Amino acid sequence: MSLLEPNPKAPQAWFGSLPVTSRYTYGLAGERFFRSLKDNGTFLGSVCPRCERVYVPAVAFCERCLGSLEEWVDVGTIGEVHTFTVLHVNADGTPKESPEIIAFVKIRDGGIVHKLGEVSTEEVYIGMPVEAVLKPAPQREGSILDILYFKPLTSEKR
Amino acid sequence: MAKPNINLPGTSLSEEDFKAGNVLFRHDQLHGEYAWDTGIAIGAYLAALKEGKILGAYCPECRKTIVPPRIVCEWCFQPITEYVPLADTGTVNTFSICYVTWDVKRIKEPQIPAVIEIDGASPLHGILHLLGEVDPQKVHIGMRVRAVWKPPEQREGAITDILYFKPIEEG
Repeated sequence: MSLLEPNPKAPQAWFGSLPVTSRYTYGLAGERFFRSLKDNGTFLGSVCPRCERVYVPAVAFCERCLGSLEEWVDVGTIGEVHTFTVLHVNADGTPKESPEIIAFVKIRDGGIVHKLGEVSTEEVYIGMPVEAVLKPAPQREGSILDILYFKPLTSEKR
Repeated sequence: MAKPNINLPGTSLSEEDFKAGNVLFRHDQLHGEYAWDTGIAIGAYLAALKEGKILGAYCPECRKTIVPPRIVCEWCFQPITEYVPLADTGTVNTFSICYVTWDVKRIKEPQIPAVIEIDGASPLHGILHLLGEVDPQKVHIGMRVRAVWKPPEQREGAITDILYFKPIEEG
């Protein structure tokens, strides 16, 4: 007779957590992109003259010709909804109080994944022009969260 | 840290660069949470700890009593047939005096982890735990020790239900 019966009083599992922390730096191009966002409230793109592309956020090398990129441009804070999804649950599985719209906002030949705001799930559509709403300058810390969300572009700015 | 005597491409960053804000960065913490299934034998071992007992198991093939218990003998691979309650006393088999914690913090009062051969288990069979209420200079291999338990209401079925082992006073 072998030991096959679990003790009903036994703890079923041992719970623990691994203390893993990380510190990520944005790299040469990323550093410059986020500095510009923090200090000037603008998005920087990098231009590949050979491929006639403008990468947003800025990158150090062209992903098409692998050339080093030297030319930087301010691409403003306006883009358009390339695709979006509506979230009803949080990352931990709990339901959200109100649905949240996450979109890929196309800017030139690149774009940024971010939240949409000041727009309902019924109003949003693919191709919708949007503009970034930034934190006030003193509160910006050089993070993607310096952008609060993108909102529908008001007609006079078009 | 010693500086390398070759110039590598790239941007080297020091802790001062982060403190001074010379570089932007992002801190992150992974949610590395896990649940480890205790299984039949270790489950029984933890349940016994909650009741203030150290549980072993006996292999009739090898005539060995092992601790903590297992359902299969590690030597002959035969199923183990019975649990054996053991004493909460034992003998220090080996020990270390640590002035640094597991996450590399300096401590004044050393921690003394030790492998303790539990009385009732076969020779050289024991568990890893801490020693306490002892002068670090006086710890020695062969020292007789006894478990110091948490109060019963605070026990939760964990190896930490034993706080530490302390020397058994002579006589």
